[in-house]
Amino acid sequence: MNPRTWHLAGLVLGLLAATPGGLLAQAPPPIKRTVESYTVPDVTLVNQDGAKVKLKAMLESGEPVIVDFIFGTCTTICPVLSAGYANLQAKLPPGAPKVHLVSISIDPENDTPKVMRDYLKRYRARPGWDFFTGQREDIDKAMRAFNAYIPNKMSHYPLTLIRDPKTGKWIRIFGLMSSSEFVAECRKVGIL
Amino acid sequence: MKAKPKTVAGLPADKALALGERMYREGILPSGEPMQSVVSGDVPVAGTAFTCVSCHVRSGLGTFEGGVVTLPTNGTKLGRTRYRKYPNLSPEERKSLRVQTPAARPPYTDASLAHVLRTGLDPGGRELNPVMPRYDLKDPDMAILVHYLWSLSAQLSPGVDTTTLRVATVITDEVSAEDQEAMLVPMNNFVARHNAHASVFGTRMYMSIGGQEMRGAYRKLALSVWRLKGPSDTWASQLGAHLAKEPVFALLGGISYGDWKPIHTFCESRRLPCLFPITDFPVISDTDWYTQYFSKGYFQEGQAAARYLRGLEDPAPASRVLQIIQDGPEGRDLSAGFRETWQELGAGAVKEIRLGQGETVSLASLRTMLQQEKPTAVLLWTAAGTFDALDGLADEVDRPGVVIMSSRQLGTKLYALPEKARAFTWITYPYRDPKDEPAVSRYANSLLAGLSRHKPETRISTRTYALLQLFQAGLIEMDRNVYRDNLLDRLGMQRDHILPDFLRLSFGPGQRYASKGCYLMQLSPGPEPKLVRKSEWVVH
Repeated sequence: MNPRTWHLAGLVLGLLAATPGGLLAQAPPPIKRTVESYTVPDVTLVNQDGAKVKLKAMLESGEPVIVDFIFGTCTTICPVLSAGYANLQAKLPPGAPKVHLVSISIDPENDTPKVMRDYLKRYRARPGWDFFTGQREDIDKAMRAFNAYIPNKMSHYPLTLIRDPKTGKWIRIFGLMSSSEFVAECRKVGIL
Repeated sequence: MKAKPKTVAGLPADKALALGERMYREGILPSGEPMQSVVSGDVPVAGTAFTCVSCHVRSGLGTFEGGVVTLPTNGTKLGRTRYRKYPNLSPEERKSLRVQTPAARPPYTDASLAHVLRTGLDPGGRELNPVMPRYDLKDPDMAILVHYLWSLSAQLSPGVDTTTLRVATVITDEVSAEDQEAMLVPMNNFVARHNAHASVFGTRMYMSIGGQEMRGAYRKLALSVWRLKGPSDTWASQLGAHLAKEPVFALLGGISYGDWKPIHTFCESRRLPCLFPITDFPVISDTDWYTQYFSKGYFQEGQAAARYLRGLEDPAPASRVLQIIQDGPEGRDLSAGFRETWQELGAGAVKEIRLGQGETVSLASLRTMLQQEKPTAVLLWTAAGTFDALDGLADEVDRPGVVIMSSRQLGTKLYALPEKARAFTWITYPYRDPKDEPAVSRYANSLLAGLSRHKPETRISTRTYALLQLFQAGLIEMDRNVYRDNLLDRLGMQRDHILPDFLRLSFGPGQRYASKGCYLMQLSPGPEPKLVRKSEWVVH
C-alpha cells in the first residue's frame, strides 16, 4: 500500500472511530419505546441476600414488575438508572399497588450478594427493589431473552423493561428517562 | 496549568484539595453532608449514591459508556480550548494543522466551571447531556471542588518523559534464580519488542489511525529490576530508595514467595500503580486502589469452598464444618477466605484446629480431631503429608462425607492423593480446566526465547505473559494521558480477557482481583488420575 492509501484508510478509520462519540456528546440519545413479548427463561438467580430465586416465576407472578440490567461498578448508565428506581420508590404513594423493581447484574463475577447489598444501600433502596446475580450462562440467557445481550459489559446500554400486568407484554424503553417520564410510563400500566 | 492559590474558600490550599477530593470521590460536602444534584431533568440524587468519580473516573479523563460520552474533567483539559476533532492535540500542535476546525468551547475559568456544574451550560453555549448532574453547591463548596478539578491530572506522572516510560519490577531475595528468569525473560523480550516497534514505527503507526494527536503516545519502555533484600519490614525503605533514585511510572509484575503486603502498602502510600504481581498472598481489600492483582490467591480458594458447600442442594455436608489448618501463610489465607465467606453467607461459626508448621497428621490424630468435633465436612488445609491419614479414613464408617483440600497447597503432589480418598476429597482449583489450558497458554511461548528451562507448572511465565498483554492494553487505552490513575482507570474498563491460567479475567472500575472464581475438582480413579470438574466456576 502506498502512503496515500494508508492515509485514506486512516481517514476512514478515524471517521468511524470519531463519529458516534462526537455526535452523542452533543445530544442525549433519544428515548425509544416499543411494546414487546418476551419468553422469560427458566433460570435460577441469586438475590442480594443470597437467596435463590426462579426468574420466570418471579417476573410472571402477575404483580407489576420493572426490570433493568446494571452492575455494581458501572459508570454513567447504571447510576442514572438506579437513581430512577430510587426516585420511583420514593414517589410511590402508600396505597399504590406493589411494584417489584428488579435489577439483574451483567457482571455476575464481581456482583456477589455482598456487593449487591452495598449497592442497594447506597441508593437507599427500600423493600421491593431486588438485585440479582447468577451463573454467567444464566445471566446471558436472561439478557438474550430480553434482547439485551452484550458480550462486553462496558458497552451496555440503558434499558428499562416494564411488564404490563394486564396483558403480560413488556414495555421496552431504550434510553434514560426523566422522573416524570418514568412515572408516566408506570401510570400507563396502572402501577401508580 | 493554573497558578496555585494559597487559600481557597478561606482554607489553606492543601486542606481545600483534600476536601475537594472527598467531594469528587465520595460525594461528601466539606460540612460532612452529601452533595445534592439533579439528573435526567428532575431526578434528585445524593452524592452518596453517585458522584463525579462514578462517571469521570479517578483520573478525571472520563469514559464512553452506553452511548454517553463523559468528557474529561482534569485540569489540563479544562484549561484548554476543546475541539471535537483531535481533542488530544496540544495548542502548539493544533497550530500546525493544515485545516483549522472550530472550537467546541473556550478554556474554562473558575466562574464558567461553577456555572456548568450548576446549570449544565458550558462556556461554548452547549447544554450538557441531562445525565450530567446539575449540582446545588454554595459558593465556598463550589470553590473547593473547582480547585480540586484544576489540580486533577494536571501534570504527567513521574517516570515519564517525552520519549520514555519507566517501569520497575520487584523481586524479593528468596525467589529462586529459575523463577526470576521465568518472569524476567518474557518481560525483557516484551520490552525489546515494544521498543523495536517504537523505533521502527515511532509515531507513524498511529498517524494513519488517529491523526497527529497520537504523536507521543508511543513511548519506549525502560524496565528496572528492584531487588529487595532482608526482612520484609525493611522493604518499604528499600523501595523508597529505589523510587527516589529511579522515579518510575508503575511497578510491573514482580515476584515474591511471601506476603505482598509490604509492597502493596508502599504503593498505596506513594500512589504508585503495581500491576499483577506474581503472588499467592495479595492484600484483600475492597477499597485500596493501586495494586491490581490477578486473583485473591489462597484466600479465593477458601472463599470458593465456602460458597460451594453453602450452595449445595443437600444441606447435610454443610451442617457441621471443621477447618484443620496447617500453620503458615497458605493455611492462614485459605482458612480466612473460608471463615469470612462462611460468616458472610450467614452460615455461623466454624470450628477450627490449628497444626504447627510441619506437624504431620497420623490416622490416629485425625481420628481424635474428628471424634471431638464430629464434622460433616472437613476443610483440610494442609500439604500432602496428610494423605496417609486420608487413606485410612476412607474405611471408617463415621468419617465426614466431604474433605476439601487446596490444589495450590498440594502442588504437584496432588496427583498422589490415595485412590480410596478420591471419592470424598474435593479439591479447590483456581485455574482453567487443565484440558482447556494448552490452547490458551501456548500463546505465552511467543515471549520465551532465551529461557534456559521452561517449567510451565510454576505458571510464572504464563502469568507474566498475561500481565504484559494487560499492561499493553492499558498503555494503548491511556493514549497521551500518561497519568498513573488513568492507567488503572483504563485497565478497569477492559473487556473480559481470555489469557493463560485463570479461566476468565474480568475488570470494572475499582475492581482489583481480575479472576473471581474457582473450580471444585475431584481426581479420577486409576493409576494416572486426572482432575475432573465437580462444580461450575464458583463465583457466588
